[in-house]
Amino acid sequence: MDFRFLTAVLLGKTVSHLIRFTGGGGTAAPGYYALKIDPNLTQKLAKNLDKNILVSGTNGKTTTSRLISQILSQKHQVVHNRQGSNLIRGIASTLLKNSSIKKQNGIGIWEVDEAALAEAVAQTSPDIIVFLNLFRDQLDRYGEVNSLRTKWQKIVSTLPKSTTLILNADDPGISYLAKFAKCKVAFFGIQDKKINLPEVSNVGDTRYCPNCSQKLIYSIQFSSHIGHYQCSNCGFKRPKPQISASNLKFSPDFSTTVQFTIHYSLFTIHYNLPGLYNVYNVLAACAVSSALQITSAEIKTKIASFSPAFGRFQKIKVKNKNILIFLVKNPTGTNEVLRTLATQKNLNLLTILNDNYADGKDVSWIWDTNWEIVVPSVKNISVSGIRGWDLANRLKYAGFKLNKNSVYKDINYSIEKSLEKLNSNDTLIILPTYTALLSVQKTLNKLGGNLKWHQD
Amino acid sequence: MASRLNKSKSKVFFRMKTSQVDSNSKLQLNICHLYPDLMDTYGDRGNIIAVVKRCQWRGIDVTVSNISVGDSLSTSHFDFDFFFFGGGQDIQQEIVGKDLQKKAKDLKRAVEQESVILSICGGYQLLQNYFKTLDGKMIKGIGIFDAHTIGSTTRMIQNLLIKINPTIQSEISEAYTSLRGAEQRSNLKTEIKDSFASLRMTGEETILIGFENHSGKTFLGSNLKPLGKVIKGSGNNGEDGTEGAVYKNAFGCYLHGSLLPKNPHFADYLISKALERRYGEIKLEPLDDSIEWQAHKQAINRPQSQ
Repeated sequence: MDFRFLTAVLLGKTVSHLIRFTGGGGTAAPGYYALKIDPNLTQKLAKNLDKNILVSGTNGKTTTSRLISQILSQKHQVVHNRQGSNLIRGIASTLLKNSSIKKQNGIGIWEVDEAALAEAVAQTSPDIIVFLNLFRDQLDRYGEVNSLRTKWQKIVSTLPKSTTLILNADDPGISYLAKFAKCKVAFFGIQDKKINLPEVSNVGDTRYCPNCSQKLIYSIQFSSHIGHYQCSNCGFKRPKPQISASNLKFSPDFSTTVQFTIHYSLFTIHYNLPGLYNVYNVLAACAVSSALQITSAEIKTKIASFSPAFGRFQKIKVKNKNILIFLVKNPTGTNEVLRTLATQKNLNLLTILNDNYADGKDVSWIWDTNWEIVVPSVKNISVSGIRGWDLANRLKYAGFKLNKNSVYKDINYSIEKSLEKLNSNDTLIILPTYTALLSVQKTLNKLGGNLKWHQD
Repeated sequence: MASRLNKSKSKVFFRMKTSQVDSNSKLQLNICHLYPDLMDTYGDRGNIIAVVKRCQWRGIDVTVSNISVGDSLSTSHFDFDFFFFGGGQDIQQEIVGKDLQKKAKDLKRAVEQESVILSICGGYQLLQNYFKTLDGKMIKGIGIFDAHTIGSTTRMIQNLLIKINPTIQSEISEAYTSLRGAEQRSNLKTEIKDSFASLRMTGEETILIGFENHSGKTFLGSNLKPLGKVIKGSGNNGEDGTEGAVYKNAFGCYLHGSLLPKNPHFADYLISKALERRYGEIKLEPLDDSIEWQAHKQAINRPQSQ
């Protein structure tokens, strides 16, 4: 009998119940305490599942793992850290809540923080790992893109042959990981040669060959360093994807129509997610599902009926007014959201910038975001957050006319005021950073939004 | 819009590049953005945006040329008044370090001819004599600053607040005037002073606020002026209390943030310096910088900067 393990499980489950009972939101707390008693708890619980799937990358982890969960749940029992608590303690908490100490049927779907990946691989011995992309993000926390990729290379080189690696073919920093793999690799990517979205002046993090440091040549650059690339020197180039998207059509109602090819099966899906970045999320989910022998028809139905999570393009109605929330947290993610918004007219925006630890303490990144492109699309814009003035300043230099009254100190008040000013048929689009999103959630709940995100 | 005020005050210095100023002609500022595709990791692009906008708002023409690996400075179409060199990832810094040697002569000449250079973090390090990484690798710089950087195991990551070197301070006060009313101006001054009462701050124009994120420790040669003295943060090396360096009109520092958008006094100082080279003494038209100063103040007041 492993008493340490049993005590840890008991404690974790108790904390989990207490939190549910008191209505608190601490999704990582049960794991946090249980891991103090048994540091190998995650490993012991995860190995009782049939399979474990890890999803990592800078942008799209939450949406992709939710898509995977939705597709797999029709055939399998899934255990998934769906609230996005993506450090080891978050995985442990989910396992504590949903699994037993005995062998059970089910698939663990784990979105994993980029910096926690090595430990997550060691603890869950994953059957499938998805690498979505790698962009600059909270440099004060994660460090530089190249140093993170070097760590990932090491992780990939230790994977056993039985693992399946699913890689973004269009991100040179990700596709390069294949070089270090002994296991099976499947690539996903976009085949189009032209994208019907406004151009953004982009910042790229892997524009020079990860293999030989020469400049990469792009025949098309979709976003940042994402596209069809080739090294002029060493021959490193974009691999041909087995799972691909083409004929991308982005609609004004934020829905998308795409033709997918999964191995040799071809089909068109219309789904309710906007933007280029979500095409990659859907592709990655298709790749995982196909690796687990889910048919194209099943994948298609589940993706078509998918509704997104916690501030990732979420539609809400509060006091009879429409609200749409897009989490913004790093340059590339934000630029993709702005690009999507730039296709619209007469927008009402509320943008919120915090600089707490989870947001990144350095707000310099806002200068790498391309607010200039949405200026013609915006009717009203206001700003809030701990560093609201920094953001207001960025907006001023982007060409927005702002004054003192456009900036609110208090997030709560900024939402109430923005809703008050909103015409009844209009939509308020809120763009918060991570901790600001939590405040937005609280405020909207108080206003009667009844958003049970943590139970979701 | 008349961009050159107080014409009576302007005088033409005797400098090599000084050209005859036709009083009807528009002022023009030529910016060179060094390695924008490689040294662009920490949001430093905001500095270019700030200089461009603050010139355009005053009716000054601006050109920005992106000069990267393999591009030549000497065959460039423009005579650059202002160079900007930002921070990048370590591996990119190596690529740039090699290429920079080919541009060393032109850049050094530009500095001697009093062009303005603003370099930040990785850019600042490459303008020094050398950068010795933690594992002993030597990255050669071009020695515009008599200084060197040594890699360390501690990463210095925090808001960085400095008091500007007094010799530059007086020049900044002369170059910078803001449009805000006297009352509003003194109010903000008091607010900033209040939040730093214990630090005996004298006023808004004497400090710079930014964010540092580096593990290299920089040490200045004995004749090189620092840009300022650290009030909060680590600065050059976290040991001697200095931050940045100044040689002629070349400035180096660890201040991301971006620096110039929320330090408009320093932005205008650099713009006037860069214009003076071509047009003689310039008095810039004042702008309404209320939002800039609010951002400045908000950054200073973050708890992690204290």
